[in-house]
Amino acid sequence: MTARPGAPAPAGTGAGAGEAPGPAAAAQAPGRPAVPQGLRRDAERFQWGSLALLVPSAALLAVLFIIPVVYAFYLGFTNLQLVGIHAVDWHFTGAENLRRLAGDQVFRYSMELTLAFIAGSVAGVVIIGLALAMLMQTALAPVRIVAGGIVIVAWMMPAITAGMTWYASTTAGGTFGTLLGLANSDFLHREPLLIVTLANIWSQTGFAMMVFGAALRNIPRDLLESAQIENASRPQRFARITLPLLRPTIVTTVLLITLISLANFGLIYVMTQGGPGNATDILPLYSYQQAFQFDNLAYGALIGNALVILCAIFGAIYVRASRSRA
Amino acid sequence: MPRSPRQARSALAAAAALAAAALAACSGSGGAAVTAPTKEPAGPFVLKVAYGSNYVFDTTGLTQKWWQQVAAEFKASHPKATVQFIPIPGSYNDIVTKLSLLYRSASTAPDVAEIPTGQIGLWAQAGYLLPLNAYLKSASWWSRFPRVVQSEGTFSGQVYAVDQGENDSALLYNKQMFAKAGIPLPWQPKTWQDVIAAAERIKARLPGVTPLWLNSGTGSGANGLLQGINNFIVGSATPTIYDARTGKFVVDSPGIRAALSLYSQAFARGLVADTSALFSPNAVTTPLTWFQQGKLAIAVGSNYYGGNWTKAISAPYWPQAPKVMGEAVIPTEAGGGVASTLGGWDFAIAAHSQVARAAFDFINLAENQQNSIDAANWAGWVPPDRDYWTLPAYTSFAPPYNAFFAQIMPHATLTPSNAAYSVWVQGMGEATGAIAQNPRTTVDQAIAILKGYVTGQLGADHVEVLH
Repeated sequence: MTARPGAPAPAGTGAGAGEAPGPAAAAQAPGRPAVPQGLRRDAERFQWGSLALLVPSAALLAVLFIIPVVYAFYLGFTNLQLVGIHAVDWHFTGAENLRRLAGDQVFRYSMELTLAFIAGSVAGVVIIGLALAMLMQTALAPVRIVAGGIVIVAWMMPAITAGMTWYASTTAGGTFGTLLGLANSDFLHREPLLIVTLANIWSQTGFAMMVFGAALRNIPRDLLESAQIENASRPQRFARITLPLLRPTIVTTVLLITLISLANFGLIYVMTQGGPGNATDILPLYSYQQAFQFDNLAYGALIGNALVILCAIFGAIYVRASRSRA
Repeated sequence: MPRSPRQARSALAAAAALAAAALAACSGSGGAAVTAPTKEPAGPFVLKVAYGSNYVFDTTGLTQKWWQQVAAEFKASHPKATVQFIPIPGSYNDIVTKLSLLYRSASTAPDVAEIPTGQIGLWAQAGYLLPLNAYLKSASWWSRFPRVVQSEGTFSGQVYAVDQGENDSALLYNKQMFAKAGIPLPWQPKTWQDVIAAAERIKARLPGVTPLWLNSGTGSGANGLLQGINNFIVGSATPTIYDARTGKFVVDSPGIRAALSLYSQAFARGLVADTSALFSPNAVTTPLTWFQQGKLAIAVGSNYYGGNWTKAISAPYWPQAPKVMGEAVIPTEAGGGVASTLGGWDFAIAAHSQVARAAFDFINLAENQQNSIDAANWAGWVPPDRDYWTLPAYTSFAPPYNAFFAQIMPHATLTPSNAAYSVWVQGMGEATGAIAQNPRTTVDQAIAILKGYVTGQLGADHVEVLH
């Protein structure tokens, strides 16, 4: 971080190296009563009887979450099939599926595709969503309402509609080719991963725009105004005030877009069914293909488990990222 | 909207739960009790009948009409019976998935089900289907089925399913375009090179027309192969796809190489449709419309084309079709002969059906002359009973195609009915798809795709190379 003469940190910020402006310091509320170490702050409110009230939700959690998760992980280590001999007569097979997974080239390729799809989607959604949200702040009210409406309609569209729209526009004779003067170009089957990633960005951006719009409205105007009085340029204000204040929102949005994109099975299934070949066969599609096309329910479950672990890793990274500054 | 790390984590946990629950929902219960089928009940009983409601027959209206017509005859002879229909919407994969789930429990298994030929082996092996040999002794129609049709439901001497109707393949071509291109009519290629030569002539003389339709890629799954490259493989010197003796899939053989080489030539010379059309999920029925619109000259097509152009089916309605469209058998690799795949839909009875006798009576009615011919006409099939092939009720529905395709059927070759066939289908779809996307793909490269995919999925001990 280079020190910038002429752009001092906003008032009220701690002096530390020009970093960590605003929120941390502002959020500190001195004057809270001191609490003795080791004593729960809510001790006087805790009652043993309240445990009984927790039972229904605990039971729901166990039945709908803990048991299925454990069972799904177990299924990944069996030879269960959808049809065939092992549909009825199936058993635990130890690490056999794991060995198969380790040597499965399609799985490795599918993992690479998944990471590329997620990275592209997240970058696209956050950048375009933030850009739209900022443009909307300065736009005239009618423009804002109309443009916002259009973007949100794209977000609200069911995956199947979005998928069909993109399928129709990116194949031969589609809108894309016609607008570019290449009416017979088959963009979808020439650059399949790029096109499905764009379709996903298109369908998620409205969500990011709404979230960023709300967060931008919460940025105190006096901070920006005082920076402006101190001669901070527009990029400086964006980099030093807006972006740091948006950080928790960005981290949360990135996490949500990651999870929503991984769950956006329908969009890719409608557009390419994982094809052509396996060029868009990201993990959820490969899991489905193994379970329902090749009838290997157990192996499909194992790929699903890998997907859950991947989600958990992403989640952990994002949670860390948001915690390190918040 | 989670803001804090803890909320974010619970959102993550919820997402994980959804993923896991979705997986768990796929599994269902493990074991099924083994009980011997009992006799028909004396009192009122329910017969559960499952069928594809909008995929198997050409229209949903005709689907309903046909099943209700059989059910009405059944009710007349079984007054105590209630027929409970289980219509299954969606396409091939949806029907197979739904039936697989229904069959997993004896309590949900349909007594009578309409099942695709390619699944009989798996479901018989899983113990879902009742052997019908004892019942078939009294069925007069069974002995009139061609041997190849009888064998599609037979495993280790037990008959697990009987055919409802069959699809086979041939070349369909536009006679007017052939006349314009100066190709003598009627056209009957002797070799595969004759097909390429005709397509090249069309390309030279009739710009703007797609000369040849060859299904390729993974988009239409097993159907794309049935109405595509498998016709050439089964017509080659090494027609084997699944070697039943060794239990291995063939991933490289002179026949597969010859068929891929034909594809490679056709794509390299620009004789085929673009990938937008070929990779579409509707690809297998695209030639029907393209022929009608005068955009296509030759197709490796199926027996149902003629029926689809009739007014009754109208998919699309094309009254001039018999005048415009000619038909020719697909020659074998050696020259002459008849090459065609064979696949259709069958009736099967659940292994643990409590009303198996009544279920067979239902099938018996479905196989009678009127119902069998109606099914063939309304679903676009050749009826399995050879006595019906010359009856006007069948031949005059879509002349001349219905009579022509019935003659091909006894020479056709069945699709493998094996659990791992879908893996081979994917591998071959990727191989032909690679040629379609990049016509410079060599036969060796296409073979490497097929071999690599099938070997990777099934293991090296489940594949073989024929020389």
